[in-house]
Amino acid sequence: MASSLEQFVNNVRTSSASGNFRELCDTIGKSEEVLQRNSAHLTTVLETLDIQQHSLGVLAVLVAKFSLPQGNNDVDKSTMFQQVHDFINNCNGEQVRFCPELYADLCHLLTDHLVELKQPIRGIEILKKAIRKIQLFDSQLTSIHADLCQLCLLSKCMKPALEFLDTDVTGISFELGGSNDSKHFLLYYYYGGMIYTAMKNYDRALYFFEVVVTVPAMVVSHIMLEAYKKYILVSLILHGKIQPMPKYTSQVVCRFLKPLSVAYHELGTSQHAAIKHRETFVRDKNMGLVSQVLSSMYKKNIQRLTKTFLTLSLSDVASRVQLSGPSQAETYVLNMIEEGEIYAMINQKDGMVVFLDSPEKYASPETLCILEQQMAGCTKLHQYIQEMDEQIQVNPQYVKKSAGSHDEDMPATSQNSKSTYTM
Amino acid sequence: MITNFDKLCTDLEKQELEAPNGVASPSTYAQLLAIYLYQNDLCNAKFLWKRIPQTITSSNPELTAIWAVGQKLWKKNLSATYHALAAYTWTEPVANIIRALEEKVRERAFNLIGRSYSTISLDTVVSMTGLSCEAVQQICRERKWEVQDDGVTINPTPPTQPAPLHTSSEDQLFKLTEFVSFLEN
Repeated sequence: MASSLEQFVNNVRTSSASGNFRELCDTIGKSEEVLQRNSAHLTTVLETLDIQQHSLGVLAVLVAKFSLPQGNNDVDKSTMFQQVHDFINNCNGEQVRFCPELYADLCHLLTDHLVELKQPIRGIEILKKAIRKIQLFDSQLTSIHADLCQLCLLSKCMKPALEFLDTDVTGISFELGGSNDSKHFLLYYYYGGMIYTAMKNYDRALYFFEVVVTVPAMVVSHIMLEAYKKYILVSLILHGKIQPMPKYTSQVVCRFLKPLSVAYHELGTSQHAAIKHRETFVRDKNMGLVSQVLSSMYKKNIQRLTKTFLTLSLSDVASRVQLSGPSQAETYVLNMIEEGEIYAMINQKDGMVVFLDSPEKYASPETLCILEQQMAGCTKLHQYIQEMDEQIQVNPQYVKKSAGSHDEDMPATSQNSKSTYTM
Repeated sequence: MITNFDKLCTDLEKQELEAPNGVASPSTYAQLLAIYLYQNDLCNAKFLWKRIPQTITSSNPELTAIWAVGQKLWKKNLSATYHALAAYTWTEPVANIIRALEEKVRERAFNLIGRSYSTISLDTVVSMTGLSCEAVQQICRERKWEVQDDGVTINPTPPTQPAPLHTSSEDQLFKLTEFVSFLEN
């Protein structure tokens, strides 16, 4: 066996035993090449290490083993799932947190492998466990989140992802943020938006697509373009019009995305665009959403009628929103009442619809309960903002910049008790 | 009879995710599909149907029959739903869930009628609830829905809202204190 490999194993053993994990991370970073070169011996190396005691070492070997290029005969990928499964179940969480990038890489590799095998559903449970193990708190976003969403989408099994998507993110894991590329961040929100769209939770879907499009950017990513297209479609389904982008959207977005999604903008102004640009929509795999936009147009038109009329005959409803006849109008109205989209009473004997006001008097205990929940949410948000503000106030870089440039004209800052300079 | 379908649902979902090679048993799929329909969670039902391997769907007529019901529910075609429910002789353990499903669909239909119609013909009620004329008249009497003199027009009344949960005033006072202390600081 090559001596450099032996040295690696010895390093792992001594560092793990003495608890020098920070040092061990550096060693691992440097020995990537050694491991790759000795691919034939990696299985033997794995046998000499213990998952629980030498988690970091095992992690490095596993990543090196499975990231070898295709066609390398030294590595048998059929045991990959089982090995990663065992590792994630048994590894020492505190140890692997010293090297979250490598841990995330292993999850990315497993994801790619399962996608290749066309068995994405097998990875869902294990990635859920992987995320929980590496997270410092529940609302922390890691790059593994995007993998989980991808597997859920591919396997058409969306429910497991919802518990993660429903938690609003308040922190970003070190391996996802910083100087790393934004791919996994964008993908998480893009896939998340798609999952919510599939679950017909359009409100939340719109928010997720908005996050993708409003990420501060100097150049436009392809993920942003696709998210922007879906943003338009979901916005049309939900609000009947294209919601304007928030002011903080990067300029490049407006400059480049709009000309690239002309067909979608046209859909907002005329229904004929659906037929005219059919090819574009089919190519973008958005035809299903486009059909939903069209059928939601009828609903929006009926909703508009409730603002003008108190009573209307079913045949008038049909002719005003271009439905085929009174019975189709009755079905639409009935479905909308069931969904709580309008308040109305149908008088079948006379063929009339009476549009009512919302029966909600905003005086019930439920309303109070909702109000209380929203107030609690706002209080929590305020707390987060204050915490973040405090963190920024004591950030050395921020202090240096703000103190340097405003030295003369803003002496008042030094009196501010929050901006302590005793770093 | 099992009535806690939520618990069963979680178990079945777990079974599917932990199944070797990602393929669960036909019985797991069938129960889960029926439970999604019972919960009126049509989106998840649709995706479950789409992800069941074709070899299983083609060899299990019961699964196909459950999804036939799901399709009708998706299209909100109530009378066809009852036909689809009656068209297959269900076997246990699915039969149990299907019975509960049918009751629930009917209950929802009655509530919907009460909420959205001021007058409705007997025929429409019959097709929306999948019951016989006599059974509908019986339920109308129970719900105190008036039948007009012509004998075919019914005046439904909206269902009564369930009594709201009562929270203790102590609890409310606590919340109020918390809120005020937030505003003060």
